[in-house]
Amino acid sequence: MFISTYRVTKFAFQNFWRNFWLSVITITMLVMTLLTVNILIILNFVTNQAIQTIEDRVEISVYFHGSAPQTTIDNAVDYLRSLSQVKDVQTVSAQESLDRFILIHKQDEAIVASLEEIGGNPFGPSLIVKAQNVSDFDFILKALENPKFSDSIRQKDFSNYSDVVTRIKNTTDRVRTFGVALSVIFLLIAILIVFNTVRMSIFIHREEIGIMKLVGASDRFVRAPFFLEMILLSLISIFVILLIVYPLIAIFEPKFGFFIGGESIGLVNYFEQNGLMIFGLEFVGLVLLTLFSTGLAMRKYLKV
Amino acid sequence: MILFKNVSKIYPPNIVGIESVSLNIKPGEFVSIVGQSGTGKSTLAKLLFAEERPTRGKIEIGGWDITNIKNHEVPMLRRQIGVVFQDYKLLQRKTVYENVAFALQVAGAPPHRIREVVPLVLNIVNLHDKHGRYPNQLSGGEQQRVAIARSLVHQPKVLVADEPTGNLDTLNAREIMDLLAKINEFGTTVVLVTHDRDMVNRLRRRVITLEDGKISSDVEEGRYKL
Repeated sequence: MFISTYRVTKFAFQNFWRNFWLSVITITMLVMTLLTVNILIILNFVTNQAIQTIEDRVEISVYFHGSAPQTTIDNAVDYLRSLSQVKDVQTVSAQESLDRFILIHKQDEAIVASLEEIGGNPFGPSLIVKAQNVSDFDFILKALENPKFSDSIRQKDFSNYSDVVTRIKNTTDRVRTFGVALSVIFLLIAILIVFNTVRMSIFIHREEIGIMKLVGASDRFVRAPFFLEMILLSLISIFVILLIVYPLIAIFEPKFGFFIGGESIGLVNYFEQNGLMIFGLEFVGLVLLTLFSTGLAMRKYLKV
Repeated sequence: MILFKNVSKIYPPNIVGIESVSLNIKPGEFVSIVGQSGTGKSTLAKLLFAEERPTRGKIEIGGWDITNIKNHEVPMLRRQIGVVFQDYKLLQRKTVYENVAFALQVAGAPPHRIREVVPLVLNIVNLHDKHGRYPNQLSGGEQQRVAIARSLVHQPKVLVADEPTGNLDTLNAREIMDLLAKINEFGTTVVLVTHDRDMVNRLRRRVITLEDGKISSDVEEGRYKL
């Protein structure tokens, strides 16, 4: 058993070195396939982050009458926070609204003069409501018609954005569907590339396989070094892809930030936290695929 | 040693390889199977080392009925029969030593036995000084001698040589035939499949002639007739 394992391992490494250029070609093809998969992962992440950023920026502003009692506002806040569709409710007092307004328009003399003319604080308290999903805004708007506090509401400014939000929602839905479809297509292409690369590699060895059988090697003894070689090639491919992907995302991360207003998109962080899982799964997937392809490709040549 | 009883091999759809061939080869015999191309010589050889299975009849080697040999038993059979081919069938990425050793390695032979046997058989075929070369660094005759060395490592009772001189010039061909005769002198039964008239006539051993898949003559000390 030990001798067989030693010989199988030795033959696998011999195959690798003595067919060096074939090994290089196979690794190149596997790396290209893995690169495609990782680009898809990166694009999905960037798309999701961009969509998330857009969705986070959509909010409903609810303006109350200046005379609205504080208890009514507190009731509204409590009620909204109890809804699962609501992500966050921020309260802005009448004074805070006035201060913000003055800060924004302090250069505009006409507006400052108008405020002085009015004398008091024309603003009432307001709420800024963020939803879990863009599609939840309809529900939240209906919830704001609750008779307990609807009479105290002066204005809800979401109606101005509803078209924009609908358009964003439709676009993001389409982007997501397109992303999934693109991923499926590229994954199928990747599987076909790996499958055919392995078939080509085994085809080159077909005569050797036949000779091994003719001198009395069992199917298992012939197959094992090829299987082991494929595991070795997959492992090297994963290391190569690690060396490509990490510098690549470090370089491109600041450029992706452009899509979400200059903030860090968190791509490097995402790969640091999930790298083991991502590359581990890619390795397992690649090994399973190459082993399956090897087994299938060898079947024909083992019939000697 | 080798027994064929009414053996036929028909390839689909209805191509006759050999038809109703019966023969008995005794231990230690040197038998030449001759005939023109397409008469079934190689089919007969392939039946011996189970590369093909007979359509009808019965084949026995050393008392082992291999007519319906199971796939997992084939490696065991091949470790007991030495086989030499016209195109040598050497592993191109392995050295002379490794090619010969491979036949022992697949059988799970321990390293000390490999270290002992391989130089011995390389000495027999006079290639001990070229053990580190790759097949493409050898002449045709040398490659065939490597193949013979490989076939000898298990000390087989039977050696099947399928057109072993087919790719060689006369000088190299004679060397190979002398080697096969020497192996036969050590007690190994040799089945030589060939259409090389000169070689067969030089041997003056038993000659079985095939015509259209059937045995047309079987002579104890024969000559190439066709």
